[in-house]
Amino acid sequence: MYPDDVYYTEDHEWIRDDGGEYVVGITAFAVEQLGDITFAELPEVGADVVKGEAVGTVESVKAASDVYAPVAGRVSEINDALETQPELVNQDPYGEGWFYKMEDVRASEVKKLMDAAAYEAFVQEQET
Amino acid sequence: MRKTPLYDEHLSANAKMTEFSGWAMPIQYAGILAEHSHTRSAVSVFDCSHMGEFRLRGAAAAAQFNTLIASDIESLRVGRGRYGALLTENATIIDDVITFRLAEDEWMVVTNAGPLDRVGEVILDQTPDAEDISGETAKIDVQGPGAREAMIQVGFDLAEKLPYFAAQGTTWQGSSVIVARAGYTGELGFELYIPIALAEPLWQAFCALDTVAPAGLGARDTLRLEMGYPLSGQDFDGSRTPLEAGQNRFIAWDTSFRGRDALVAKRESNDYDLLVGIQTGSRRAPRHDFEVYYDDTPVGHVTSGAYGPSVGHGIGLAYVPKALSEAGTQLTVGPRRLEVEVVSLPFYSHGTCRT
Repeated sequence: MYPDDVYYTEDHEWIRDDGGEYVVGITAFAVEQLGDITFAELPEVGADVVKGEAVGTVESVKAASDVYAPVAGRVSEINDALETQPELVNQDPYGEGWFYKMEDVRASEVKKLMDAAAYEAFVQEQET
Repeated sequence: MRKTPLYDEHLSANAKMTEFSGWAMPIQYAGILAEHSHTRSAVSVFDCSHMGEFRLRGAAAAAQFNTLIASDIESLRVGRGRYGALLTENATIIDDVITFRLAEDEWMVVTNAGPLDRVGEVILDQTPDAEDISGETAKIDVQGPGAREAMIQVGFDLAEKLPYFAAQGTTWQGSSVIVARAGYTGELGFELYIPIALAEPLWQAFCALDTVAPAGLGARDTLRLEMGYPLSGQDFDGSRTPLEAGQNRFIAWDTSFRGRDALVAKRESNDYDLLVGIQTGSRRAPRHDFEVYYDDTPVGHVTSGAYGPSVGHGIGLAYVPKALSEAGTQLTVGPRRLEVEVVSLPFYSHGTCRT
């Protein structure tokens, strides 16, 4: 259900090591909760962010919520496609629906986040 | 939570269920955007069995009920319906209702689920020979440009000629059905008032058609919002008058009704809030309860807001002072001061409801 090549936060973001650069998005669970995504506000490229900082927002037909930085680092790229095709987040949350990329990230910080098994247990707890 | 007679149908269609006014209702099946778009281009069926229905018999009942609402239902021709607001002494809206005159001496009043207890009290206490038929009545709405064909395919030939805001009795599989044509989506639409036992077979008969898919409360909300139709309990919640709710054209000033004096006083003060349409310049949406600002001054509240799938940007309804209600007025909303413009309603003007 949850890919095991990414790490997860309690705010339902995921982060993947893509050869030194890190890709960030929101999880299938978050997407399921939000429903059809209609808008994504992404951080500025070059912004230095700290762990837990609200760096963007995601809106669905039903609701709006903040997107947080899973770890500290610098935003190196954003997914421009989401501006016109926010539905990519629904269709492929761990692939084409990514939000932004980060550099200057400490790998040790990433590994402190939840792995797939831990996140799955966390989500189950949320649902009960 | 109460369940409609279509509860099992919703579960077997994998609907996501939610609580709405004490009822377990489907919020979505395939997804709000897909259902919204399907309603604008084909046909959707909505379970509206949670809504309330009352039957009035006789001229005395109609005359009495006419004093409780701001519109005039006594002057309705047989077979026609009219929208109107049920008022308190202070002219605040208890609920908005549609009243159909089914026969010379018979009317049916259709109310929302939210304020149903309060509405029932008002109608039953104050109207002789009024009967609450909500418990024995299910309601299926068939909405979309292909609704007429779908109705005929299922066996309702009267859909061919039924005019807008009309209602007529018929039978389906031997049971009595009232078919009305009002709608809440902006598209051509028929509403079927049926005995509980008919709900499942009729729902299945529609869903068996290629053009028809079920739609939930989520799509119903974005569809009605694009038309600028207020939702009872959300866009007026007991403290607003029909003047403020933008219902001037549904007020029969020349009739006598409860709350009329208060309403006249409000009109003559020429100083009240108005429910207006607001629109963003992006996909970002205003949201329910957002504060509205003019320059930096708080001037009102957003009561409904969402991304409008058929208009392609954020839309909403908000109460603002009359002086700020002109189309073109620039306002901001919410903690992040999202820029919005006051626009005339509806947001979406390509609907097929009158075709």
